[in-house]
Amino acid sequence: MSEREHSGNGAHGNHRPGLGERVDHIGSSAQEIFTEARDAVADLQRTLDIKGRMERHPYAMLTAAAAVGYVLGGGLLTSLTGRLIRVAVKIAAVPFIKEELVNIAQNTLSGFSARASEPKPSAETSSTSGASGI
Amino acid sequence: MEATQQLKQKAREVEERLGPQIEEAKKNLNDLNTRIKSFIRERPGMCLLGALAFGFIVGRIASRR
Repeated sequence: MSEREHSGNGAHGNHRPGLGERVDHIGSSAQEIFTEARDAVADLQRTLDIKGRMERHPYAMLTAAAAVGYVLGGGLLTSLTGRLIRVAVKIAAVPFIKEELVNIAQNTLSGFSARASEPKPSAETSSTSGASGI
Repeated sequence: MEATQQLKQKAREVEERLGPQIEEAKKNLNDLNTRIKSFIRERPGMCLLGALAFGFIVGRIASRR
């Protein structure tokens, strides 16, 4: 058995670490933990890149933060959430509806212009077609 | 045909009348957007915390109802 092992229980060893030594040991351990924690925080910051994200998408980040706060505030399972989701779906559908309306308007206008450019049938042809038609 | 011409004329008049106002409003909105974005970029932490707090308060109010 080594001297170090004996010093664990303090009964057999000649060398017992003094208070100063223990304090040094605790201090160095604390320093190590602090360094590791700082590195971990720096890694997390690099991974999340919150500053960069705030630079690129400021509104999206603020919305996300507000959403996190809303959930933390206990608003997730409320009627307001349902209403908000419905409004969000409607807002998301606006571009599609707009596109459809524009398409319909274009088709209608092109139909009008095509009809306007067609030559009007004369009275004679209309009367004969009317007679033979029915 | 005359009705179409009148309609076109009306549309042109409206566009001429409202065009500068719309442009002005667009410019103001762009300006405001730029200012808000620069404010957020200068103080990202504060803005994030503010948004978080705002969401929290809204969530609290919603859960009490």
